[in-house]
Amino acid sequence: MGAGTENVPPFIGAQLNHLLSHSRPPLKIDQMWSSDKYNSGLIDRFTLLIPYCLDFIKWDVIFDAESPTTVPDVIFGPEDEHFHPFHMSPSVEPNTNSSLLSDWNYKDPACLLNLIQFLRDQYVLYQGKRVGEVDDDRLKFEVSTIVSREGLEMHMCSFADKSEEVKFAVPLLDMNINKMVSGCPWKQLQKIYLQVVYPVGRKYMSASSAPRLKLVSSFELKALYSVDDVKLPSWLDGMCLAEYLPNLEEYLEKQVLEAVSLIDVRRRFIEALAVPLGRPVEADPVFCRKATFLSASGVFTFLVHFLIPSQFPKQQPAIMLQSSQHFNSQMAPIKSRPISDYPWSPRWEPSLMAERIFEFLTDEALTFKRQCSEGQVQL
Amino acid sequence: MDDPPPLQKIAISGPTLASLIHRFSTTTSSSSIDGLLFGHVTFVTPLNLSDDSSDTSQTLLATVTGFLTSSSFHNTSGTINTTSLRRLIPHNTSLLGWFSGRRRTPLRPSLREFTITSSLSSLSQFSSTIKANSDSNSNSFSSSSSSSLNFNPSLFFLLASPISDQTSHIHTHDYRAYQFITGTQSFNPVSVDIINIGPAFRGHYGSFIPNSPFPALDCQLSYSPMIRDDDDEKLSKMKQAAKDQRELDICSEGFEVGRLSKLMGSEAKNYTQSLEDLYLKMLVKIENLTALVEESSAKVLQQENHNKKLKHKILRSAAAE
Repeated sequence: MGAGTENVPPFIGAQLNHLLSHSRPPLKIDQMWSSDKYNSGLIDRFTLLIPYCLDFIKWDVIFDAESPTTVPDVIFGPEDEHFHPFHMSPSVEPNTNSSLLSDWNYKDPACLLNLIQFLRDQYVLYQGKRVGEVDDDRLKFEVSTIVSREGLEMHMCSFADKSEEVKFAVPLLDMNINKMVSGCPWKQLQKIYLQVVYPVGRKYMSASSAPRLKLVSSFELKALYSVDDVKLPSWLDGMCLAEYLPNLEEYLEKQVLEAVSLIDVRRRFIEALAVPLGRPVEADPVFCRKATFLSASGVFTFLVHFLIPSQFPKQQPAIMLQSSQHFNSQMAPIKSRPISDYPWSPRWEPSLMAERIFEFLTDEALTFKRQCSEGQVQL
Repeated sequence: MDDPPPLQKIAISGPTLASLIHRFSTTTSSSSIDGLLFGHVTFVTPLNLSDDSSDTSQTLLATVTGFLTSSSFHNTSGTINTTSLRRLIPHNTSLLGWFSGRRRTPLRPSLREFTITSSLSSLSQFSSTIKANSDSNSNSFSSSSSSSLNFNPSLFFLLASPISDQTSHIHTHDYRAYQFITGTQSFNPVSVDIINIGPAFRGHYGSFIPNSPFPALDCQLSYSPMIRDDDDEKLSKMKQAAKDQRELDICSEGFEVGRLSKLMGSEAKNYTQSLEDLYLKMLVKIENLTALVEESSAKVLQQENHNKKLKHKILRSAAAE
């Protein structure tokens, strides 16, 4: 479907652009194609990839290139055949929100956004209703303890072998991480979720068996704090989420606060490096995870890249040298492998760390220069 | 009123289905079409009856005999306009439901299709009486117990062409039929039987009920008293009807009823030659007619393409403003 956006009729394009740039959570277009069999016509069909419950749902938005001013139709996923957003209440009459369709105004580019957002909100309610219908006392209890959490999403998954499981995306930490980072570049509010998966309908399983747990965060949060490194507290026999969550949140809160304070530790380290190495050519000013210095050994000039882990100073930075004078056969500058076997102690003051690294670099520069001129760089 | 039993099957004749698919695949002015389905609903007696069977549940067979392409009975947000709908239903014809065809989309009912089907199924004023199966031996049973049952227009026939269809010389069209269940507000897939010529379908010919709405041209001038037209409108409709009648008369020239009556009864064998003449004339006329249809179709297509280009031009300039 290699068709470009220039083939989208203008009125449809305006709706889509507004949707993609304003929707929260952000969604993507998975596929777009033309209603024309030979794909030569104008693009008027789109598959949206909508984040839901730490996964994605796919909805097809069907416009008609021949009448781009009319309201599109939506086809939901094959597993959601009972999702009828305008008929959620038992009454036959569609609810008042159907004005989103009848009052469609092609000149207002926010129409599609409003429609999709309404549909997604209804989808949250629909999945909540499905989970509520599951005949499982333990599940009902767990739901009752977390249902008041704002932003909680549930998903009922059915599999080919008739087994079912209920997934929860439990938003953790009622704090605004974005506000804690000065000069925060994130457009999205960063969140950490606990994914909880309960198998249902398996009567032979003991009622107290642990659910599958996994921490998930927005991708951008990794610059500050990686949830992959977190070892989850163990789930004790007979435990429930209401007992588990407060401990986990307390632990995570400490971790996030520490991660925020570590930004300054990294900043001081970069500042300390500037004493022997000079002003950095490039540095990450917000999270201080990267810094590059220009250095010279005699006439040999080279760049020194520092990759500073989020766990710094517990973990030491990786150093990489890059020649400004030597290039490989693809005309790319020759780089060293990431170096971590240099003198280091997490207990040293930043100035001492910088001093020892500078001393190490004086020797290492000569080795790297020799490697460069031999053209044999170990990668 | 009791709910009628669920549909067991939908029967559609090969030519009707072919015509529906043809209509869907040749529409160029839009990427989707929809319209109404007409036909009749009959009781069927399950074939696997046994003596000790306590299961006397009956099922229904819906036979689609015709369709009308028109989306004027609903608006783009899926609300039904009952006045327009009534006008679209020919006299003495039962509405079974509707169909939707959309190019290069998944074969699943959409948001709008759900709304339309759900509303249409609830319109009991458009329901049709379920006929008892005429060739069934258990006639007394079905007619006594079910004569009062009605079938709401709850049929939905979905046509779609696949999204990824790499072969350019083969046109694929998928279809699925559903009955909308008002109680659960859900689509119930129903299998489709295509009635064709062949030994397997002899039963259908045995129970054939003539149903030919042709001519669809409205020459009767009879309207439902529910619809009040302006006098001007009525007059113009009468004129149109008279013109239609004249055109029909030209087509049937040489086949006056008086002459036709000679071909009936015992005298007929004396008129073999004249019978063959008539057949020959008929064939020539049909041939002329098909040529005419082909010619006009080509003209329509040409005009549609022209309109399409103009429309794109207008939209481009409107968007540029």
